[in-house]
Amino acid sequence: MNNIIEVKNLSKSFGNKMALKNVSFKVQKGETFGFLGPSGSGKTTTIKMLTSQLIQTTGEIKVFDQLLKKQKDPLFMKRIGILTDNSGLYERLTVYENLLLYSQLYDVNQKQINGVLEVVNLQNDSKTQVKKLSKGMKQRITLARAMLHKPDLLFLDEPTSSLDPVNTKHIHDGLRQLNKQGTTIFLTTHDMMEAEHLCDRVAFLHQGEIKQLDTPQNLRIQYMDSSVTLLLKDNQSIVVDKDEKGAETIYQYMKSGEVISIHSNEPTLGEIFVQITGRELA
Amino acid sequence: MTFSLKRVYAIFTKDYKDLLKNSYVLFGIALPILYAMMVNRIGDQDPYFNFLPINLALVVTGAFIQAAIVAEEKEKNTLRGLLLSPASTLEILIGKSVLSAVVTTLVILICIKLSGFVIVSLSLFALMIFLNLITYLAVGTMLGLLSRTVMETSIIGMPFMIVFGMMSNFKPLFNNEILLKGIDYLPSEQFTFAWIKIGEGGQFGDIIGELIVLTIWAVAAVVITIITYGKRRFDK
Ligand SMILES: Nc1ncnc2c1ncn2[C@@H]1O[C@H](COP(=O)(O)OP(=O)(O)OP(=O)(O)O)[C@@H](O)[C@H]1O
Ligand SMILES: [Mg+2]
Repeated sequence: MNNIIEVKNLSKSFGNKMALKNVSFKVQKGETFGFLGPSGSGKTTTIKMLTSQLIQTTGEIKVFDQLLKKQKDPLFMKRIGILTDNSGLYERLTVYENLLLYSQLYDVNQKQINGVLEVVNLQNDSKTQVKKLSKGMKQRITLARAMLHKPDLLFLDEPTSSLDPVNTKHIHDGLRQLNKQGTTIFLTTHDMMEAEHLCDRVAFLHQGEIKQLDTPQNLRIQYMDSSVTLLLKDNQSIVVDKDEKGAETIYQYMKSGEVISIHSNEPTLGEIFVQITGRELA
Repeated sequence: MTFSLKRVYAIFTKDYKDLLKNSYVLFGIALPILYAMMVNRIGDQDPYFNFLPINLALVVTGAFIQAAIVAEEKEKNTLRGLLLSPASTLEILIGKSVLSAVVTTLVILICIKLSGFVIVSLSLFALMIFLNLITYLAVGTMLGLLSRTVMETSIIGMPFMIVFGMMSNFKPLFNNEILLKGIDYLPSEQFTFAWIKIGEGGQFGDIIGELIVLTIWAVAAVVITIITYGKRRFDK
């Protein structure tokens, strides 16, 4: 079994509005798969269908080589972890008490709780009542909760959307570690940097359709600009094409000792997205 | 389907810890108790009057606390987490009902003590309370599922509160035969009828009709609640 998720011709409409149009993709075992798209493109809708919170209009979804069942299956639920964009916590209970409930529901040793709290950098707040925490801290608890049982497949719906850079990095490290231990990750984000850092492959979602699907590296090569940028000593930067004329220009500048640096113009994922869809992500 | 007591217990202990810090719920506990104290002061022997604190405990403590804690799980988006966990429908529903059942039972015991309600047959009384508890907790769960917020439960629950909690007080106001007959089939009325019979020396066999009606209420309430729950499980 190499594909953890297999989606064929998946569509979802709400009334007469198509939120997802004929989407197909596969997620391989062990990879971190990114679903990228602007607000309203259908990311959350997709996650909801993959986790049977929402029933598709048409199409086929296989997770762990099996069609999703209508009936809830505890063994299936144990193998997946989910962080939704509105996962709630028990506000009057402490951080630890919240995780304790989940350790019992998932049959996980209570001792794991402190471990995941370290991953999300909250080890010192375990006795704090949840309602006294900031938004970002709450998001980190829900993330800790989603990974507490070390699921085979982890769904993350914009896991770092309200976090500062330090905690984002902390979470990214934790996710990479979890991924190394064998958890396949399906992640949605509109943060291109996050996708570059974490994802083995990314799908670009725009208005309910997948416009591109590849590794970040391949995408960059495919959309690489045919030019390079020279930074000169007088702080001037000039762009030259990768052709004979460009070579001549570079040669001249190099010869006169003007060049500080030369960069090939690799586009970021964000720029590629704009090229494909004509739209900014955020 | 597997049934895990461990998961039921996990949900129960979570609710218990939460209850201790929840002031909204304390009101639902205090109301029947205050009423029972009042009944004691007045010292009336009318069985209708005497049963009122117990009925209030069932309606206010049982149904309303249950509705509030179910609705709060929806309001705060925590129900989603339970639904996405390995816990089954039955485990979640039972886990969430056990605490209200325990609290309601305690309140009923306190009410009995305070109001001077005399228990003639403990086994029959316990049986009827048990059937009523199922009915009211199921109705409470359903009210909670139908509301989006805790506040909404008091609005959605108002008609229920009037019909189940106070209808017998309004009886003298009506003279419509069908309506009065209908009121007679309410759980509170059935309980009172049975209780009067037991007080007059009636046995199990004498109140079988009332017990059947109470059982029908319990089964119907549970079935309707499970259907409501199934409908609410998926997002639209
Ligand atoms: N329950 C619903 N009823 C009607 N329309 C819906 C519903 N849920 C989502 N939609 C519509 O489906 C489209 C996709 O929504 P979705 O929530 O999947 O977007 P998203 O990519 O997750 O956006 P965001 O980045 O803002 O979270 C939107 O146009 C939205 O209005
Ligand atoms: Mg979303």
